Amino acid sequence: MTGRERDDARAGRLMLAPALIALAVLAAWPGLWVLWLSLQRRIPVFGIERFVGPSHYAFLAVDPRFWNAVQVTLIFTFISVALEFLLGIGVALALQGQQRGRRTAVALLLLPWALPSVVTGRMFEWLYHPSAGLLNFLLGGQAINWLGEPMLALPALIVADVWRTMPFVALLCYARVLTIAPDIYEAARVDGAGAVATVRDITLPLLRRVLMIALLFRTLDALRAFDLMFVLTGGGPANATETLTVYAYRSLFQTLQLGFGAAIGVVVFALVMLVAWGYLRAMAHQEEAPA
Amino acid sequence: MFTGGSRGRALLLALSVLFAGCGQRPDSAGPITLVFKHAKILGPSDPVPALLREFERRHPGVRVQAESLSWNSDDQHQFFVINLEGRGAGFDVMMLDVIWVAEFARAGWLLDLTPWVPAEELAPHFPSTIEPATWNGRVWAMPWLMNVGVLYYRTDLLAKYRLHPPRTWEALVDQIVRIRTAERNPRLDGVVWQGRQYEGLTVNALEAIWANGARVFGTDGVVFPEEERAAGGLSLLRALIVSGVSPSWVTAADEELTRRHFGDGRAVFLRNWPYAMDLFQTANSPVRGRVGIAPLPGRVGGAATAASSGGAHLGVNRRTRHPELAAALVRFMAGGEAQKAMALGGALNPTRMALYHDRDVVRAHPDFPAVHDLMLRARPRPVTPAYLMLSSTLQPEFSAALVGVKSPRQAIEHARLRVGYLLQGLR
Repeated sequence: MTGRERDDARAGRLMLAPALIALAVLAAWPGLWVLWLSLQRRIPVFGIERFVGPSHYAFLAVDPRFWNAVQVTLIFTFISVALEFLLGIGVALALQGQQRGRRTAVALLLLPWALPSVVTGRMFEWLYHPSAGLLNFLLGGQAINWLGEPMLALPALIVADVWRTMPFVALLCYARVLTIAPDIYEAARVDGAGAVATVRDITLPLLRRVLMIALLFRTLDALRAFDLMFVLTGGGPANATETLTVYAYRSLFQTLQLGFGAAIGVVVFALVMLVAWGYLRAMAHQEEAPA
Repeated sequence: MFTGGSRGRALLLALSVLFAGCGQRPDSAGPITLVFKHAKILGPSDPVPALLREFERRHPGVRVQAESLSWNSDDQHQFFVINLEGRGAGFDVMMLDVIWVAEFARAGWLLDLTPWVPAEELAPHFPSTIEPATWNGRVWAMPWLMNVGVLYYRTDLLAKYRLHPPRTWEALVDQIVRIRTAERNPRLDGVVWQGRQYEGLTVNALEAIWANGARVFGTDGVVFPEEERAAGGLSLLRALIVSGVSPSWVTAADEELTRRHFGDGRAVFLRNWPYAMDLFQTANSPVRGRVGIAPLPGRVGGAATAASSGGAHLGVNRRTRHPELAAALVRFMAGGEAQKAMALGGALNPTRMALYHDRDVVRAHPDFPAVHDLMLRARPRPVTPAYLMLSSTLQPEFSAALVGVKSPRQAIEHARLRVGYLLQGLR
């Protein structure tokens, strides 16, 4: 290394420092604090504050409410993300083929994504309303108990989540689709490829990278799902829609079991990191593989 | 927040030293300001500002600044907890949901009001408001707004079939079957109540459990000592749903959902709080003039009636810089004059029993004498600092029994185990 290179390296580190310090203060410090909190039994109302080691985690391992929340979170994440992708890609392709009114379609598509989630929640509350809701009215005046029946409540929340976030996937895909050069399609047509083959062999492979990024974002968001459950069902009936974050909220802010709530928070954090790491690895593999 | 506070205090100290040097006392710099945090007061007009001006008139040099919080009880609780645990002194007087008083007192967040409030000052309030106010033998808050679970019924439908408001749940079910068979109206439901997994479910389930003659805590601290009877309470609620006497969606219903349904003329009975009555009597209400109010039913072989109380108390932040004045404000707001103004202007009910027979108040609310008798018999939810833990542990179990995921007996069994474990850790 020459002296010049050393200077450059030092200058580089110096320039990185503000970002690293900001990360340390904003992410690492609260993260470590929550981890430390999760090793304590801390209930301010009762003046309890003592170190208990990993005993909260030991309790979680045998806590049926916790395992139920894990199950609800995973089912919610898997199904809603899968549906968002199927519909999102479909919508992007439909937009690509559309001749007129694309701008209006894109604007309309943005609407659900732009609404605050509490507004979305309230709107679905009315759609699912048992006696005055649009959904039951369209079904011929049925009184289906969308949010109060354990088998229906989670699917009803998944539908609301898909409605809200499918546009995110659709717009990302659509943006990528726009950048595909038209001559590729022309060449395919000349070679005699049908519509299905074109989508399968040209559009989807070219969408792969943007899909991976969208998948990463959506999965991490869905694993932390909170607001829809909070507004629509409160985690019920019978905890059928209680996700990990709702359980953490109840423990932390409602019943003030700070140490215990922090332990659930740490589990959510670990889960999110694990999934993010898995995705990033998969993406790195793809980069290496010949396109 | 913490460091900001201590830095602010350091700054204040520096400033006061500075001013002391000039021969000035910081206290005399301006009027004393008390901050009163309360939920938005619903009703035709908000009487709070006028009351605060009256208090200021009686205490020259004092200014009261009212700051309202969102109407959502969870949000208010979170706001208070974060600020009180963070040792903030940003407010002096606060409006507390009755179920938080013991919790806040145990946490050391409330000023002990015993030196200012003699026992006879509490006596004019409903008994079920005094119990939560005086946790552990000290006075922590003063009762301000009262609530009680009541049974609304359709006077026209009951009169048509020559029925009287039912005294037991068994009679209520019989009446519904009779009315619905004769009316042949598929759009008319029987009784609607609150079964969504939230605090309202705890209230409704406890009322059913109490009606069946069971308690939450025995004298020795045992949870649900009358296990069979407690399960019987939940069985009643489940049976209402299974038999179709209540629509199945009560398992997702809160106060407003059921209030609107009954208000549209689509149910014979409704369990709700007294606030709904004014709304049923508005000019364009489909049920105007056809709604009566009665005690919640008891059970054959159980209690005569069992209604939960609710409402709000006023407490003082322990870190207030003006304990004397803050206590005076609480006593003034809970006093007869202020509560009368609240009853006349707001849609909420006072905690002072005499007001329910006050001529001016009764003219504005003709149903008050009837409501008085119901409030007199109301029971508070368990008064314990662990109430929110208790309730949030019970809710999923109660909900599971209502939707049939667990049998009522299983739900009570699991509730006993979980609550027992929880409380054991707090001793």
